[in-house]
Amino acid sequence: MQIRNFSIIAHIDHGKSTLADRLLQSTHAVTDREAREQLLDDMDLERERGITIKASAVTVRHVHNGEEFMLNFIDTPGHVDFSYEVSRALTACEGAVLVVDSTQGVEAQTVANAYLAVENNLELIPVVNKIDLPAANPDDVAMEIEQILGLPAEDCIYASAKTGQGIDKLLAAICEKLPPPRDSIISETRALVFDTEYNDYRGVVVYVRVFDGRLNIGDRIRMMGVGRTYVVTELGKYTPKPTKVQTLGAGETGYLIAAIKALADVRVGDTITLDIEPASEPLPGYEEPKQMVFCDFYPSSSAAGSGGKGADFEQLREAVEKLNLNDASFTFQTVHSEALGFGFRCGFLGLLHMDIVQERLEREGGVEIVQTAPTVNYQILMTTGEIREITNPADLPDPNYYEEIREPIVKMEIIVPKECIGDVMSLCGARRGVYKSQQYISETRQMLIYELPLAEIIYDFHDKLKSMTRGYGTMDYELSGYHKDRLVKVDILINGAPVEALSIIVHRDSAEQRGRALLVRLRKEIDRHQFEIALQAAIGGKVIARETIKSMRKNVTAKCYGGDVTRKRKLLEKQKEGKKRMKSVGNVEIPQEAFMAVLDQGD
Amino acid sequence: MQTTPISVDGQQKWASLPLSTARTPVRSLYVHIPFCFHKCHYCDFYSFVDSRDRQGVFVDRLIEEFSALARHAGGGAAADAGEADAAPALDTIFVGGGTPSLLRPDLWARLLGALRERFDLSTIDAGRGEFTVECNPETVTAELMATLAAGGVDRVSVGAQSFDQRHLVTLERHHDPENVARALALANDAGIRRRSLDLIYAIPGQTLKEWASDLDRALEADDGLEHMSCYALTYEPNTPMTKRMRRGDFEPADEGLESDMYEHTVRRLREAGFERYEVSNFAKKREAMGNGQWAMGGESSDVTTHGPLPTAHRLPVSLHNLVYWRCGQWLAAGPSASGHIVTEGGGHRWKNVPHLTEWMQGVAASGGYSPIIDHEPPDARRALAERLMMGVRIAEGLCEREMQERAEPLGAAEALQRAAAGQAELGRLSLADARWRLTDAGWLFADGVASELMAALAPGESTGRVAGDSSVRG
Ligand SMILES: Nc1nc2c(ncn2[C@@H]2O[C@H](COP(=O)(O)OP(=O)(O)O)[C@@H](O)[C@H]2O)c(=O)[nH]1
Ligand code: SF4
Repeated sequence: MQIRNFSIIAHIDHGKSTLADRLLQSTHAVTDREAREQLLDDMDLERERGITIKASAVTVRHVHNGEEFMLNFIDTPGHVDFSYEVSRALTACEGAVLVVDSTQGVEAQTVANAYLAVENNLELIPVVNKIDLPAANPDDVAMEIEQILGLPAEDCIYASAKTGQGIDKLLAAICEKLPPPRDSIISETRALVFDTEYNDYRGVVVYVRVFDGRLNIGDRIRMMGVGRTYVVTELGKYTPKPTKVQTLGAGETGYLIAAIKALADVRVGDTITLDIEPASEPLPGYEEPKQMVFCDFYPSSSAAGSGGKGADFEQLREAVEKLNLNDASFTFQTVHSEALGFGFRCGFLGLLHMDIVQERLEREGGVEIVQTAPTVNYQILMTTGEIREITNPADLPDPNYYEEIREPIVKMEIIVPKECIGDVMSLCGARRGVYKSQQYISETRQMLIYELPLAEIIYDFHDKLKSMTRGYGTMDYELSGYHKDRLVKVDILINGAPVEALSIIVHRDSAEQRGRALLVRLRKEIDRHQFEIALQAAIGGKVIARETIKSMRKNVTAKCYGGDVTRKRKLLEKQKEGKKRMKSVGNVEIPQEAFMAVLDQGD
Repeated sequence: MQTTPISVDGQQKWASLPLSTARTPVRSLYVHIPFCFHKCHYCDFYSFVDSRDRQGVFVDRLIEEFSALARHAGGGAAADAGEADAAPALDTIFVGGGTPSLLRPDLWARLLGALRERFDLSTIDAGRGEFTVECNPETVTAELMATLAAGGVDRVSVGAQSFDQRHLVTLERHHDPENVARALALANDAGIRRRSLDLIYAIPGQTLKEWASDLDRALEADDGLEHMSCYALTYEPNTPMTKRMRRGDFEPADEGLESDMYEHTVRRLREAGFERYEVSNFAKKREAMGNGQWAMGGESSDVTTHGPLPTAHRLPVSLHNLVYWRCGQWLAAGPSASGHIVTEGGGHRWKNVPHLTEWMQGVAASGGYSPIIDHEPPDARRALAERLMMGVRIAEGLCEREMQERAEPLGAAEALQRAAAGQAELGRLSLADARWRLTDAGWLFADGVASELMAALAPGESTGRVAGDSSVRG
């Protein structure tokens, strides 16, 4: 039997999930109806037992030209933050189906994903999807694919995941054009972990692609990166119902269960080998997932610490540790800030990831969090020649002790309508972008390639791009290295006391403007108090901007609520509650929003 | 205890509330007339422009609701059953809206007649009660005033809001400022001696000087004016005004300016003989009234008080509003009207359904019982929170002993006392004479004071810290 391992890659909403469902459905057509009903029943049962059906890898059988094929379809996460995971999934494949919406054309994520696939030596099958729509422009889109990705337009398969048109052709192409998996090149077993999942009933489920040798039930396996060993208790494939197998051979994809307790104990990208006869080298390409943005989480009650680690902090610690068992891709360490008490500095794959983690901590852990503005990490070249990495502007050493500050730079691809190019270029310019090149996509659209400091884009760049292109602009980026620049730390003082969580590292030339913009935002976000509050921005002790928040003049609704007491009471109760998501610095209450003010670019 | 069924169709009616549990008979009534000839942009009252003329049917339904209320209001078990026979007495009536003066005089005559048939209005007739009708300056006529006076109305509250056409336009309020003085004069001519004016300040674009001139014009409009209500423009959710502000059409008045306007109001009205007895309400001192016979007693208060009552009671205050502010009891008639009865351990609050058709259908179908929404059953903690929040806004303030006695069973006496002390330390509250009263400086912070006092009642706050204190050092 022939094996094909492949993924579907696409820009968001171009139809990846719909196409995947449609493919599975078409292959089921070979089994008879009863079997199908049986399958569905089984799945309901599984669902009742709380077992996840949505698998990261699905195996189906398909007959093409009289020959039987085992198709392993490997799912990829849909967001740029998780490009590391996408690339792991792609390493498990020999080919990929690249889906492009025929009403939208090639987008930045299409390009980025296609590049990733090419880097991993995958064969690509371009699919122009949604041809059932009246606005479809398949020929033009096929031309775009040729222009920008170099895949011949005539190779594109025109399809509709909705109506099923073109799906047979796609299945044929998968069987004919995608290469079979390579044979074992060494005798020792090597399997790549391309995804993991935590299931309340079964514990950790590890998705693997076997490259060399073979895995059997009962094998004692060793995780080459982490160094731990486990005994395999179950092997199987999702077809899509979980089907146990005795063994997984070279070229095959499936899941593995061993007594692994926490997700943190396995790493996506790690190589599994056998403990008795280990391979000497892991499969190439394992990298630690890279945290790109960092922020602090503090418990939000204003009574934060009385100097010590209060009960709120302990509750937050529990929540963070618990969540980390399920999501090992965020990092955390205890921080203590003079102003804010005890909390955690956490690292995330991207902003979306940060939001997800915060939300889960609050929802699942029942803690309310005050979050500081996300920052990037900096490499500091010390005068001693040592390179120190900091993830918090507050940790920047005194200027006497370092030579230079290096910041992360990304390579960014932006696809925009032609008439927006001027605006987008000035946006990139304002964000210290370095123009690299421009590529023609079609009559109406171009791709811009820029190098930009990550710090300049993490927050609102995407929103700005979307709004200046009326939603048509798309972007994608990857880390390309660290560059030095003339960066300085701007400190914020509230009534004379520095608040580290509000410090920012910015370019010297925009320091005044950013400092001023930040103070203006803070003035708006911090409520008036009974006393005047002085806000200052300073570089190394020299004040570059100041603002004052006048003392509160009034707090009274001068309106007669007459008989409708209920509403008024609720308002007043809220007034008091509204104060909860705050941090007190000295006797100034700083709301959550103020910490985010740091991100205001002032443009 | 509940003797009346919730209702035929499952909606809760006010008659399902055990009115018999009221500690004393209910002696106040609020009536809501929802019609306006134009909807002002800042308004969040239940009111609308009635394109089909439904005034007649509306009054029919209102009278049915009066009948039902009268049957239940007398107190005792008979009240719950709706069988009380003697006409219950009312000390205060307030007809608000909407624009009550939009109701045609013949309908007014019917409404007033029906009220008198069903309730005993002798206190009001004797001049020891109060019967107020809200009027829009545009709709006041000699005929209407005569009708009101004949029906027992002894007080009008005229919605002037501003004398500056420009600011009226901002508020989308349609009337000619010239008509304010005329309306007041017509009321006086009809023998309605007690007259009040409503004004709004902190209108976007309004200067302190313009506000000062509005106030002056209000004072000039009527020598016999005995009462003024001055409200800062409040941006209520979902009003066109709020939407315009959010959209950036205008900036709301600056906090400092608004405070200046308020302080000017207090000063200017004091000069003119008016004393502040509630955050936004001012009454003209008796000595300062030409003919002044308005010795307002505290008798109608059903709030336990200890110690001497402050001077507010010698002022021509709005007795009816004072019932609200002291968390007293009143009945409600008409769509969106809210009511309150005080029981042991709290009180019932409810609101008639704020929808004309639903209200009319409900009343017609059940023989006078409006469907209600937002019913809040008795809860001692809530009742005390309300008492604090309303009481702190009136000059007479709160009686310390009453507060302690009520907070004690909630385990909050200490926390409440501490919260009050905290506010006193901030210079906002005076604890003198065993009463908690806003200081001169405290009036501008009434909401803050109220919310801090209320927070002291929250379960678990009893060991809490003094608000404003913070244990994190920066
Ligand atoms: N008309 C039409 N709609 C489609 C087709 N494929 C996907 N869609 C719709 O496009 C939207 C995005 O599809 P989805 O599969 O969720 O995209 P994904 O984000 O790439 O997984 C959904 O509303 C689908 O129903 C197609 O071939 N024709
Ligand atoms: S007249 Fe009064 S009730 Fe009517 S719309 Fe204007 S403010 Fe509202």
